[in-house]
Amino acid sequence: MVSSARRNRICFCVMLIVLVACFFFGMAVGSADISVKDIFMSLLNPGDVYMGRIILSIRLPRIIAAIILGGALSVSGFLLQIFFGNPIAGPYVLGISSSAKLFVAISMVFLLGNGVVISSIVMVVSAFVGSLLAMGVVMLLSQKVKNMSLLVVCGVMIGYICSAITEFVVTFADDTNIVNLHNWSLGSFSGISFEHVFVSLVIVLVTIVITFLMSKPIGAFQLGENYARNMGVNIKRIRVILILLSSILSATVTAFAGPISFVGIAVPHIMRSLMKTAKPIVMIPACFLGGAIITLLCDCIARTAFAPTEISISAVTSVFLAPVVIYLLVARREVSRG
Amino acid sequence: MDNSVSLDNLKVGYGKNTVVLQDVNLSIAPGEIVCLIGANGAGKSTVLKTIVGQLKKMGGRVFVNGEDESDMSEADVAKAISMVMTERIHPELMTCFDVVATGRYPYTGRMGLLEEKDITAVNNAIDLVGAAEIAAKDFSKISDGQRQRIMLARAICQETGIMVLDEPTSFLDLQYKLDILRVIKKMAKEKHIAILMSIHELEFVPAIADKVVGVSKDKVFVTGTPKEVITGANLEVMYKMESGTGSVLCEGLWNYANSLTRLI
Repeated sequence: MVSSARRNRICFCVMLIVLVACFFFGMAVGSADISVKDIFMSLLNPGDVYMGRIILSIRLPRIIAAIILGGALSVSGFLLQIFFGNPIAGPYVLGISSSAKLFVAISMVFLLGNGVVISSIVMVVSAFVGSLLAMGVVMLLSQKVKNMSLLVVCGVMIGYICSAITEFVVTFADDTNIVNLHNWSLGSFSGISFEHVFVSLVIVLVTIVITFLMSKPIGAFQLGENYARNMGVNIKRIRVILILLSSILSATVTAFAGPISFVGIAVPHIMRSLMKTAKPIVMIPACFLGGAIITLLCDCIARTAFAPTEISISAVTSVFLAPVVIYLLVARREVSRG
Repeated sequence: MDNSVSLDNLKVGYGKNTVVLQDVNLSIAPGEIVCLIGANGAGKSTVLKTIVGQLKKMGGRVFVNGEDESDMSEADVAKAISMVMTERIHPELMTCFDVVATGRYPYTGRMGLLEEKDITAVNNAIDLVGAAEIAAKDFSKISDGQRQRIMLARAICQETGIMVLDEPTSFLDLQYKLDILRVIKKMAKEKHIAILMSIHELEFVPAIADKVVGVSKDKVFVTGTPKEVITGANLEVMYKMESGTGSVLCEGLWNYANSLTRLI
């Protein structure tokens, strides 16, 4: 018992240090060369210099966004995995991210077409509606399809349908503002503003804290519904809570950064292997930190690998994390809950 | 009215229309072990699942410690009834200790952290079922027999006055059966826990049961002491055996049962 607590502490400390290191690395790399000294200088006295501008208004919000949203996405995946009682689940592979994307695109095109400037809250709300809708479809399917791998295939198909419709909507929308939509619809942290960062910070922070406080019933749910009920957990309530929390988190990510592939499914798996436990009280903070680190690094690669041309973040996360998902699909014996 | 269950005209089944058993009237007193026997599919598990709230009852009432179960909160029921069901659980990366510790859920605080007294209760339960040496092992890597012991320990450390056990001895070897039944009997006699269990192995019933309930078709067919219920005639009805075969079977069964009674 003692050794596992100590192990957790060490893992958390190492992850925090890595995250801070990634933060400075992310500030330093990019199309314009900036040294660590410059970063400190501009953070300490934000003057009106060229370096400071790049750091504060372009890189800083982007990096904070990658941290918050990457963490949120992983926790969302972890919650979905508990809901389905299966490690092969995530907002992207179940089509939830893509459905959120579709709803954001539709409401943007519609509102911008009518000359209304869209606020971040409206984006999050439309993404949330899209998430819930896809979640409903997946849940209906899960009653027919008991095999989780097949359910993932269905989810991927839902994702394709939503992406196709999004493409259609974006292509035929003539407003110039919508040009930006194309980057976003593939998944990108570019062009994220401080306002977006602030809104997502508030939503994600509140949701993560609530999720963490729900660790106890979420942990009971891991033993299956019947035993959880016998422990005194209100099953209906916890199911609704799991759906709402994971949908809010993935919707926030999609609203501001578009659909980011495989982080939600792969990071919880990596964290379980690292922490050697599946307990929510450890896994929720671990997934957040791990997701933040991995997303931040992938974003750095996305904007520097072929600089000045940027590639979408999903392209990077796919290359690194899809193999993890393939491993999960192949290596795990399908276990079903009777 | 502590540690008691009574079923009043209980009607159980699946969904809205599939009635499995009806008119079930039964009471279990503190320290009493009641065994449910009957053919496969006769509805033993359905009754147990209904009592623990896994299935909605179709009619009648369930009284737990004198209180109508439908008026009780989930948390109160959790402190009153523990269970070991036949359903397999697949917890990930949990040691046997962790699995047993989930029985402490109704007693731990907001974040579910184990306190000293919880850890003591968990360890005591593990010792009681004789599973101390596997406590630190991964739950998914132990044998069926060990798993059943761990699930029983989990129910024990939930410290409830009522235990519901669905076929706790199935799939175990003889020694494991004896061990588990000994623990169950000890819980009833020493801690005055009311125990309702289903069991297929009739030879073990006389050793542990105070009362036996035989179900057949959609009714409780017979209730009484093991001597009254396990008779050739009753077995022929419950298990749809040819007439005359029941008494042959019973003769040998009671011999074996008497030996087992001396061992449990």
